[in-house]
Amino acid sequence: MGNRTNFKRLWEGFWSTIVQIQRDKATGVLEFELNEMENLFVVLLLGSFIGLPSPPAAMAMELLPYLEEELRIMVSRADFAQDPLGSIMGILNVD
Amino acid sequence: MQKIAFFLGKGGVGKTTLSAATAYYLSKREKRVLIVSLDPAHNLGDVYGKKLCNERTPIVEHLDGIEIDLQEWITRYLNESRDEIRATYHYNTTLNLDSYINILKYTPGTEEYAVLWAIEHVVKKYRKEYDQIIFDTPPTALTLRFLAMPTISMLWVKELSEMREQILKKRQTILSLNPEAHIIKGATDKTQDRVYEKLSGIKERLSWLHRLFKNESYLTVIINPDALSLAEAMRIRHELEKLDVPIDSVCFNKAPMDGSCGDEVKQSFHNFPIFTAVWIPEGLRSIEDLEKVQIPELAEDIEAKIHSLN
Repeated sequence: MGNRTNFKRLWEGFWSTIVQIQRDKATGVLEFELNEMENLFVVLLLGSFIGLPSPPAAMAMELLPYLEEELRIMVSRADFAQDPLGSIMGILNVD
Repeated sequence: MQKIAFFLGKGGVGKTTLSAATAYYLSKREKRVLIVSLDPAHNLGDVYGKKLCNERTPIVEHLDGIEIDLQEWITRYLNESRDEIRATYHYNTTLNLDSYINILKYTPGTEEYAVLWAIEHVVKKYRKEYDQIIFDTPPTALTLRFLAMPTISMLWVKELSEMREQILKKRQTILSLNPEAHIIKGATDKTQDRVYEKLSGIKERLSWLHRLFKNESYLTVIINPDALSLAEAMRIRHELEKLDVPIDSVCFNKAPMDGSCGDEVKQSFHNFPIFTAVWIPEGLRSIEDLEKVQIPELAEDIEAKIHSLN
């Protein structure tokens, strides 16, 4: 009886891990796209700092307090810019 | 609905003199008038022989004046942002943000924003107390930029809002497929997203200002008997037409004593009422001299527009 319960628990754990892996795979590309959109949002807003046309700086200042996470993404995207092809291949599981 | 009047024109054409004379004339007719100078190089106080400041100051009975201190408005605006950054970003409390924010005072566009928020503040705070609020504007370049700011900024706000909506939708989609997605750190709903909320707030303020300029303001352009001020007045008219903010009249200042204005002005502005203000050779020596400027027609046209809106 005890063995059966342990096996059931083990199987459920194993199964939920498999399901989660598949979910992560399924949403990986969407997450990548979301990251890019959030990055683009901040680049558009703060573009004047890197020489792009942008809305008045005062407007960017008003939004700045709420963009902590997006700014983090923008900085991480700067690393991504060094090897964009490698990152895309990684997302698509191409070794 | 309160009618607001703006006096526009090239530097030195007499915007301050005519706005001061109009305000004085209306106050003599027992209208409660507030006159506000938006020009960073203020001389409204000099015309009235009274020291004016960023706070409302009585000039004569029924007439009060303010000289907007743009630097103070810029500082106030940036300080609000600094406080919000301090309250929201939890890891940088040890940083001295003041030194970074000080440089933003010199960012292009900040001065125009400060003018807009000053106008918003004055109109919202005082519109119920006065029959008329008159704004003496800075020279054309800055005036056109701040009048254009709501229209241009609203385009940005619209695009950014749409993009933010897509981001929120994408977050929702990911969350519904994968509730444990580590990427979801922000809000997924418009009502909970602070960025979207802030964008909506900015949009609301800018739309209010655009409506104020377009529907609730009386815009008069001052011209002198010279080709340059006429050319600039025509540019102002065209620029404002592009922004869908029509001018209401033209005022020909420093006109000859017979009150006539040039044919060129009549031709260029044949669709608009043209008023004349005569040249005072001896200049303004006291506040009473403002009556010599003789602008009753302009003042009455402004008043008539108030009644038509009420």
